[in-house]
Amino acid sequence: MGIEKYEDMSALEMDVIKEIGSIGTGNAATALSQVLKKRTKMSLPDVYILGYNEAIEMVGTPEEIVAAVLVKMSGEINGIMLFVLKMDFINAVLSSVLSKKIEDYMDLTELEKSALEEIGNIIISSYVNAMSGLTGVRINLSIPSIAINMLGGILSVPMVEFGYVTDKLMMINGKFIVDDKVLNSNLLMMPDIESLNYLMHKLGVD
Amino acid sequence: MAKQIIVGIADMKMARQQGVLITYALGSCIGIALYDPMIKLGTLVHIMLPELGTMADKNPYKYADTGLRETIRKMTAFGGVKNRMRAKIAGGARMFEMKGGHDLGNIGERNAMNVKKILREQGIRIVGEDTGANYARTMSMDVSDGKVTIKTFGRPEITM
Repeated sequence: MGIEKYEDMSALEMDVIKEIGSIGTGNAATALSQVLKKRTKMSLPDVYILGYNEAIEMVGTPEEIVAAVLVKMSGEINGIMLFVLKMDFINAVLSSVLSKKIEDYMDLTELEKSALEEIGNIIISSYVNAMSGLTGVRINLSIPSIAINMLGGILSVPMVEFGYVTDKLMMINGKFIVDDKVLNSNLLMMPDIESLNYLMHKLGVD
Repeated sequence: MAKQIIVGIADMKMARQQGVLITYALGSCIGIALYDPMIKLGTLVHIMLPELGTMADKNPYKYADTGLRETIRKMTAFGGVKNRMRAKIAGGARMFEMKGGHDLGNIGERNAMNVKKILREQGIRIVGEDTGANYARTMSMDVSDGKVTIKTFGRPEITM
């Protein structure tokens, strides 16, 4: 059995996904608080199932410049983890790690880009490790990759990756809250449909 | 300024005589601007994938093969003539450099190759191209003269 489209998920299944996501975000927030040495929380995750153009609108606007760290999941869960960072988040990281701030994405040096890439990697790994520990599924992570470019182009990567099986993206989205301020960033977990079925089966939800 | 008509992802729009067709932030996707100068008929299509897969899909504009065929058919229906049509293409980037053997990102190159192959088969000449590399492109065509403009982040604007 299992679903063929993201839209076919039941309310119970959505709740389970949300629960798994909140374990991931909890762990990711702890990892970030250790890097920033600041009180860090993550919002309870929201689960969205959106068409291509709506998915971009949920995160920002198509031509908006953002930084994004992408890690591919493979193994028993296949999909993409994408951490989209906007200026306030970048500066929160740069000021505590490298004691500097930038005004424009063009000002990012190679060193700063690799610092962001590594922090993205730490956040994503701790998210996925928590998820994998809770569910007992084996997940391999690729080496992280960073891009500084238009949001639309960046989000087209997961759309194209799953393009042959779905017209929609499923995004499990969490936001970071550092020192009581919500930072402009989105940590997106995007599993493929087959992996969702596997996960539900493994957890005995189906 | 002329009226802007927005072309979404896996979408196509047509205009005649005046108006600007625009599609935002092409990553590995390809934007194909087709223009028949004689009657000033232009279309802009935003495809995502090189060819129709097995998924029962109602949207032809998602794929290069079905998307181009449908676009040419529509243009012909509105008086366009294939051997007068000219194409300009943009996109097909690799947004993320994946180390460690993951093939994610190659799709841009395959998209570009297939779009060119189909245009060649259809006998439509490509008179402008800006594809590949690792950045997104916003593409627009002014239907009054067929001029295409490419905007990117941190690079000068291209007109073709």
